[in-house]
Amino acid sequence: MFEPDEELIGRVVRQLRRPVTVDAGLDARVMEQVRRLPPRRAGGAAHATWGWLTRPRTVPFLPLGALAVAAVFVAVVLWRPDRPSRPASMSEFGFVVVAPRATTVSLVGDFNDWDAARTPMQRVRKDESVWTAVIPLTPGRYRYAFLVDGVRWLADPAAPAARDDEYGAPSSVVTVGGS
Amino acid sequence: MGIDRVGTSDVEAVRRVLGGDTDAYATLVARYRDRLARYAVHMLGNREDAEEALQDAFVRAYRSLERCDDAARFGAWLYGILVNRCRTTGARAAKRGRVFVRDEAALNGVAHASAAEQTEGEDVVRWALARLTPEYREAFLLKHVEDLEYEEMARLTGASVSALKMRVKRAREQLQAILREAEHV
Amino acid sequence: MTLLLAATLAALQAAQGPDPRLERLDSISRPIVTALVDSARAVALPTEPLVQRALEGATKRATADRIVAAVRRLAVDLGHARDALGATASPTELTAAAAALRAGAPPATLTELRRIRREPLTVPLAVLTDLVASGVPVDSAAAAVLSLAAKARDADLVEFRRAVERDIALGAPPASATAAAAAFAAAAVQVNAGAKQQRPGRP
Repeated sequence: MFEPDEELIGRVVRQLRRPVTVDAGLDARVMEQVRRLPPRRAGGAAHATWGWLTRPRTVPFLPLGALAVAAVFVAVVLWRPDRPSRPASMSEFGFVVVAPRATTVSLVGDFNDWDAARTPMQRVRKDESVWTAVIPLTPGRYRYAFLVDGVRWLADPAAPAARDDEYGAPSSVVTVGGS
Repeated sequence: MGIDRVGTSDVEAVRRVLGGDTDAYATLVARYRDRLARYAVHMLGNREDAEEALQDAFVRAYRSLERCDDAARFGAWLYGILVNRCRTTGARAAKRGRVFVRDEAALNGVAHASAAEQTEGEDVVRWALARLTPEYREAFLLKHVEDLEYEEMARLTGASVSALKMRVKRAREQLQAILREAEHV
Repeated sequence: MTLLLAATLAALQAAQGPDPRLERLDSISRPIVTALVDSARAVALPTEPLVQRALEGATKRATADRIVAAVRRLAVDLGHARDALGATASPTELTAAAAALRAGAPPATLTELRRIRREPLTVPLAVLTDLVASGVPVDSAAAAVLSLAAKARDADLVEFRRAVERDIALGAPPASATAAAAAFAAAAVQVNAGAKQQRPGRP
């Protein structure tokens, strides 16, 4: 007798969702390994509250397939906190996108007149598919997007989406605090 | 979905660890251990590999904690590390020719006084899951068991939303086919 | 700055000639957008957001009517933002406020924000807008931001927004994720206020 397909999947999911417990021996093993590492200096917390940064990301599962959406980011620290010489109200922001088959990628937004020539992105060494750019930003709210090969628009999936009623191409928003 | 807010918050624990308080990390390990274990066990099919991946993920997260740009999203960030570890562990295990091992008592953590049918059902599900292509299994677990939204899955896995939707769909189709076939045996 | 003085200054600026960046626009939208920008300047509304919105359209190869409609809508939103926030609002605050209004925030929310928060409103308004973009109902987002805006620093508000997004990603309903994160952030704000001296400098 066949179960309706949805019920079949439902049964599978219900079983898989049951809680799994791990014995606390794992905790002990983790902490033991962790304690053997060189101790941290205090002050690392400064880095935890930087602006709107991208996140550490994974190596793709397969050789990269279709360039559909910029979705993966390499855990590369691309920027520094404000240097003393820089005016206090400016901060540097790093933008990262994966575009494996792109020839060119530009960062365009409210901060550079949406001029595709202004902020070309660079490939990160070793990983041919990751592009980055670092720009200084004064406080404000900026719409932006990535322009691939001059024709294809990518929003930044790691950033809040910009509302787009108007131009039919996706954008993202970065907000810089301060005054 | 209960995100534990009692006691030390993630943000507070991360801050302490970054400030040099190694012991504070134990709070985070205890907090996320079981939740992440469920994914690892189902993804890898056996407890031993799962615990190895889990332990590895926790240690890596500790070492690269500065790169967790947002302490309030520590859980999701840790999740991403685990998904990656499971891929590596899974690939290694496949090379060694491991198969999914039945271990229902340890998996469920509760002694089952239940009927043989239930045990059989669980075995069949695990067996069916094992026969899925790994990337389909990953997407299926993240979506239907871990309840992630596609945008978050895209961030964790590096695949596009449309590719993930296709993988989940294929996973469902494959599971249905495998389970229907199993019902005939 | 009185409106009269601002209008005089605007007239002086206009006398210097149109913004050369607008030359990137097509021949149909350029004169209309130029006129919209001049009108905004004449009433002391910020013009830079309007120019950027037009340039965005140009780069995205939008049709002239879409560019004009977008710039016009933003100009109207900026005017409403100034009505809600008052004439002392900075251009950055007005831009963020315009986006919040466009996302559905009631003007009364903006006015209340102005009343309770001494620091710039840019980040709270941005957080409100971004939460709505993540699927949080606008009333929940507004209530949460209002509950935090008096005491929370910009960084606290950003953390709060990310906490909500994380919880939504892990399956929580947006409204309850927002309420829970706001309650939690309120407690964290107290802790941060006490620990301020130990924090490294950061705007």
